[in-house]
Amino acid sequence: MAERIGVYVCKCGPNIGDKIDVDVIVNDVNSIKNVATAKSHNLLCSEDGIKFLKSEIEKEKLSRVVIAACTPKMYEQKFMKACEEAGLNPYLMQMTNIREQCAWVTPDKTAATEKARSFVIAAINRVLLQEPIEKKEIDIQPDVLVVGGGVAGMEATLTLAQKGRKVYLVDKSPCIGGLGARFEEVYQTMECAPCMLAPEMQDILQKENIETLTHSEIEDVVGSYGNFSVKIRKKARYVSEEACIGCGACFEPCPVEISNEFDEGLSKRKAIYLPFAGALPNVPVIDKDNCKKLKGEECNACEQACPFGAINFGDEDKIIEKQVGAIILATGSMLFDPKSIPTLGYGKFDNVLTGLQLERLNASNGPTSGKILLKNGKEPKSIAFIYCVGRKEKGYCSGVCCMYSVKLAHLLRDKLPDVKIYNFYTDLCLPKKEHQRLYNEAVDKGAKFIRSDGTENVTRVGKNLVVQYKTDSTKKKVSVDMVVLASAVEPDESTEKIAKLLDIPLDEQGFFSEEHVLMKPFGTPLEGVFIAGSCQGPKDIADAVAQGGAAAGRILSKLIPGEKLELEPKVAEIDEDLCSGCSTCITLCPYSATHRDEEKKIAVVDDALCRGCGTCVAACPTGAARAKHFTKEQIFAEIKGVAK
Amino acid sequence: MAKPKVAFYWCASCGGCEEAVVDLAEDILKVVEAVDIVFWPVAMDFKKKDVEAMKDGEIAVSFINGAVRTEEQEEMVKLLRRKSGLVIAFGSCAHLGGIPGLANFWNRDTIFERVYKEVPSIANPKGVLPKTKTKVGDMELTLPEFWDTVRTLDQVIDVDYYIPGCAPPPDIIMNAVSAILEGKLPEKGSVLAPDKSLCDTCPRSEKKPEKISMKEIKRPYEIIPDSEKCFLEEGIICLGPATRSGCGEKCINANMPCRGCFGPTKEVIDHGAKGLSAIASILGIEDEEKLSEEDVQKLVDKIVDPAGLFYMYSLPSSLLRRKKI
Repeated sequence: MAERIGVYVCKCGPNIGDKIDVDVIVNDVNSIKNVATAKSHNLLCSEDGIKFLKSEIEKEKLSRVVIAACTPKMYEQKFMKACEEAGLNPYLMQMTNIREQCAWVTPDKTAATEKARSFVIAAINRVLLQEPIEKKEIDIQPDVLVVGGGVAGMEATLTLAQKGRKVYLVDKSPCIGGLGARFEEVYQTMECAPCMLAPEMQDILQKENIETLTHSEIEDVVGSYGNFSVKIRKKARYVSEEACIGCGACFEPCPVEISNEFDEGLSKRKAIYLPFAGALPNVPVIDKDNCKKLKGEECNACEQACPFGAINFGDEDKIIEKQVGAIILATGSMLFDPKSIPTLGYGKFDNVLTGLQLERLNASNGPTSGKILLKNGKEPKSIAFIYCVGRKEKGYCSGVCCMYSVKLAHLLRDKLPDVKIYNFYTDLCLPKKEHQRLYNEAVDKGAKFIRSDGTENVTRVGKNLVVQYKTDSTKKKVSVDMVVLASAVEPDESTEKIAKLLDIPLDEQGFFSEEHVLMKPFGTPLEGVFIAGSCQGPKDIADAVAQGGAAAGRILSKLIPGEKLELEPKVAEIDEDLCSGCSTCITLCPYSATHRDEEKKIAVVDDALCRGCGTCVAACPTGAARAKHFTKEQIFAEIKGVAK
Repeated sequence: MAKPKVAFYWCASCGGCEEAVVDLAEDILKVVEAVDIVFWPVAMDFKKKDVEAMKDGEIAVSFINGAVRTEEQEEMVKLLRRKSGLVIAFGSCAHLGGIPGLANFWNRDTIFERVYKEVPSIANPKGVLPKTKTKVGDMELTLPEFWDTVRTLDQVIDVDYYIPGCAPPPDIIMNAVSAILEGKLPEKGSVLAPDKSLCDTCPRSEKKPEKISMKEIKRPYEIIPDSEKCFLEEGIICLGPATRSGCGEKCINANMPCRGCFGPTKEVIDHGAKGLSAIASILGIEDEEKLSEEDVQKLVDKIVDPAGLFYMYSLPSSLLRRKKI
């Protein structure tokens, strides 16, 4: 049967109508072979336009349609739907962009018309070679993987798990709770964070449909939205999670003492340890790099001390494979290391601390059981806070450092009523409704806020630390016992590795990029992978929790058990008769969608994994790999239409 | 019944294709028995006028090797086309342009300049260059015009089938001849060789890793390649993945990589571009993220004469056909 192409040129009101002579185009293409009809319309995307398009397809018995209008990004889906509703396979419709690419950029009407005409001819050439594509659906896996057990990850996990959905919560550290669990009190309620988080953590550990994998990292992810296959490395803990009751009898006899990273190096821990008192799950872990026995030396002190036989030196890393439909990344953040600004004296002088170190000093489960002490064991009489440490280096305001410093000022005044507090700031960031009040109250409590130019310099004079600063163009200095650096927030060190693993982009600052900064701040460009909490950007607890909930909500509303997921129809396919099994495509596929069929000695594409990026098609040296809807013939026909 | 008439002709080629016919050894007797050779300038004494005297379509098949670069070649192939039922482009040069096609990086003037004036072995103090007409006394000598551009046979006349290879191996020739004699020919325009690329039959593909990558580029003279490993794995550019199979893997078995004389597979328009795209895709891929622009440039710079390498046999048949001068 002869082809019947309908060509519809949209005027887009005056947008195209005023800049391009639409009638000339309609008239010209009407006589092209296989064109059954060519018409213009004032606004094809309108309700009336869609109705017109559908009636044309039916009335003219069209076998193919060309729409010359705006960018396909705007309404291609709408026009495809209209075609489908009128009984035409939507892949037999071709759009060509004569608005953004002609009307809006080519001021001369004759030139714009000529250009648009060639676009329409190109689309006619192409549409003739297009093939109907049938959509495929696959079953989905409703289970979800959450990476990172901080506040955002916990909120997401609990939200998802409420209705019995299986959630796997993976955290690289031996415990859950993230950074939040290491603060004693948090702004703005001044609540005790561990107390606030404990019920949530217990809930997570006890819910049957939540499988918590601490001391674990994701190693490999293949698949796509609805069907990810994840490999998780559960690192050897050397302590049985089943047998251990968390009595702590093993700590004392361990002969190894090393700096405790969970107390920011302010305390010592053993080779068998819990990160901090109250860490959950309450099962110690043996640090294999420092344990004598695991280094091959003679020692089994912990094994002897354990009343429950929970120590297992033969424990090994396990690779656990899980099938999930979606992934939430909540891998958190860490603090900028102030060592890179030598003038601040961090790492050089005692009693120059980061905000997080002071948090640990203030924590009742910290190195000093909550007492604010100098290195020499005495209470400080004066403390200086330096704000915006790393803002210039990182190139962004972290938005939380002012508030955590204001909070710490409060706490310090409560604990040490006579302590003098100097806050050196350049700009104060107090964005939320309660923040101004907290700041005002800190001022009322006697904390001094001094606006400086950000060139603070810390030196040691005798026993004291001296902060030099510049305010109102005058150089001044103040002598203090302790300096606290309000460090910027930067992405956790695992961020880059995970981005590579999943092939998702990072932003300029090194955080995960959002699908859309404003509209989809919890999505990533990779469908089915979501982000929550400070791995997306610096955040306070409330914002992290909100984002965790939002990501979970998005999954709950889209990934519904029993429903099917539509696959990308424009995937690659490999011609068995042409493929010689050279493996080029297998090496290149960013989604691991191609693999070798050992029997046939050729490459095959997995429809469920292929996202139609076309990398294999471009690289295939024999032309065996083809992209549906973007075949060589279609593209050349299109080029011939525009190139004379 | 009269035996079908067959013609052989050569254009811009080295003569290897003529040798290939002789290389059929005793099989040539079968050919001679089955057909009547009416024109074969390299082996038998026929003149152009003998061909002109024939009726149009009288020759059943003409096997033409060599690319077309002179006026005379153009005239002869057009004549043979008229007189022949089938025209077979025989060998890489007729098929793709072949080695003579590399001359498309120059034009007539630059070639003449080099060949007749600059090369160390020439003594031409007066700088005489070939001309189409030269007066000698009252006589005029003529030479055919030398075109700027070398063309494939199908860029000059309609070609029915292609026999690939530099030179075509005997089994490919015999299969083609049998197919013609038995009338078992595929679709017009087909290359009479397997459709898959060389990796399909390559003896080294068994041990090829599933993911192939090239960490660096080595030229064949720089290393003695492991005779069992894929050349790409060893850093040697091999056009096997992009080149039609059927050659018998002679180069591979001699521990040399494929240079592409069989041309692309049927779905490929530009052989060199496809080879380049495949090699570029896997070059340095393992540590791609760690490579700086400079590192990448260094890697790529190791490919000496990329145009000459990837288009060694196919420049005139490429999308660009020649260098713009």
